[in-house]
Amino acid sequence: MTNTTVILTRDLAKSYGSVAAVHGLNLSVEPNRITAFLGQNGAGKSTTIKMLLGMVRPSCGEGTVLGKRITDAEENCQMRRKVAYVAENKPLYGYMTVEQTIRFASSFYPDWRADVARRLFNEYKLPPQQKVQSLSKGMRTKLALLLAFARHPELLILDEPSEGLDPVGIEHLLQTLVAQSAEGVTIFFSSHQIAEVERVADHVCILDNGRLLVNASLDQLRQSYRRIDLVFASAPPEREFRITGVEKIQTKGHQMSVFASRNAEAVIERAHDLDAVSVEVAPVGLREIFLETVKEN
Amino acid sequence: MLWYKAWLETRSRFLTCLATLTIFCAVFVGHAQELIRPEWTADCNRLLFVTQQFVVIMWILGVVLLGMGGIVREKAIGTSSLTLSLPVSRARLLGVRAGVGVLEAIALGVVPWTTIFLVSSLARMPVLISQVGFYVLLLVGGGLAYFAMAVLVSSLVEGEYTAPAVAFGVVLLTAIAFDAWLRPFNLWRLVTGDYYIDRHTYLLSGHFPWLGTFASLSVAGLMLLASVKVIQSREF
Repeated sequence: MTNTTVILTRDLAKSYGSVAAVHGLNLSVEPNRITAFLGQNGAGKSTTIKMLLGMVRPSCGEGTVLGKRITDAEENCQMRRKVAYVAENKPLYGYMTVEQTIRFASSFYPDWRADVARRLFNEYKLPPQQKVQSLSKGMRTKLALLLAFARHPELLILDEPSEGLDPVGIEHLLQTLVAQSAEGVTIFFSSHQIAEVERVADHVCILDNGRLLVNASLDQLRQSYRRIDLVFASAPPEREFRITGVEKIQTKGHQMSVFASRNAEAVIERAHDLDAVSVEVAPVGLREIFLETVKEN
Repeated sequence: MLWYKAWLETRSRFLTCLATLTIFCAVFVGHAQELIRPEWTADCNRLLFVTQQFVVIMWILGVVLLGMGGIVREKAIGTSSLTLSLPVSRARLLGVRAGVGVLEAIALGVVPWTTIFLVSSLARMPVLISQVGFYVLLLVGGGLAYFAMAVLVSSLVEGEYTAPAVAFGVVLLTAIAFDAWLRPFNLWRLVTGDYYIDRHTYLLSGHFPWLGTFASLSVAGLMLLASVKVIQSREF
């Protein structure tokens, strides 16, 4: 749909009094990809999303979404025509029925896909005349997702989309995300479910304490991150392994475990040079990358 | 569809207020007809004046409640992110809410007074339609400032119950303060018609207070503009 960078921020920051929620964020989200936004609770993910959508004003820095400046109210409003957003708590108007909610949302978007809305409505088995306030959490999530998917956006921003869904619902959601991406929709979503992220994401951003620590494709992460377990005849020479790309070293007796974000070959070479008894290299999963990254930070 | 949303949000409050006001007016005037003889024109007009005092109190309570809500309240209940993600400016959001509120406030003034007129006519009480129009105009033209004040308070104060409590507090305090120190500018007395009624005939004396009504409407407009500015500058 679009070929330019969908989300671009430069030194974006937000402080609440003396507390900095987001620090100099330089984020870029490329089109037609599924980008996962990972971080612990309070890392600044929701604040970042709210800044992108104009709900919160940045303390400094700037950003664009679909080429529109996020700090310009008018441009932000134009941008929101092409963006679908599902917030963490899946907000919906409790006084509306399911049918009224769908009718209400559809009126704002000329590209509304009635066929998608109908299909998802049937698949999710939503009760049309039931008031939203009386729906279960899972049903509310489904309705919020229906509104986002049927909007036919250029950019889909989802904050914890699978929260409240059962395993069948999660599976359906992941498949829908992939299908939407295949149709050219750029997806930017935050999640704590790393297994889900690994299944669908092309690109991963890890935010911690308001700082962007990782911004790379999932393939790139899988290729560059390694855990190298070494065994030495005597006490491991830990200092020798403090080289570029080594994020963490753990030593226990004659064993040493090196966690490297890149440069694993240099670590292996050095281990051989230092007469390591055993050298075992293992790929690292996203879960471990995330945990080690935020722990180190 | 924003109009529809605003209507759905306020309809239970509006219909409750409308029903209460209308039933009160019908019962009050209907009961009063047993006490007043048709030929007592002045007493009939006095009855209308007394009715207006009660209507004003209930109408102000109603419009203050109708002024509550909006995205600040939505923030408190967690739905503001849905509203603010719509491709609609904050000014339009508030404008539509205020528009629906003003129409409901007008209905809250017109319907009860129409009921009074109909009940009085059925009871063969000599009620002048011009007098009814006078009370409705005073109520709506003068009283919309109370609605605008409620909208402003709801833009400034968060919390589902705090905002109405503050708004009712402001109504009470301004009524007391103006009565004590700025009596000629007391909005309450403008709306009730207190200054413009001949105490013998209980009919409008002189011209309709266009200046006071215009000033009150201007204040209402300013408060609504201030509300827009507040909403535009807020973070959610």
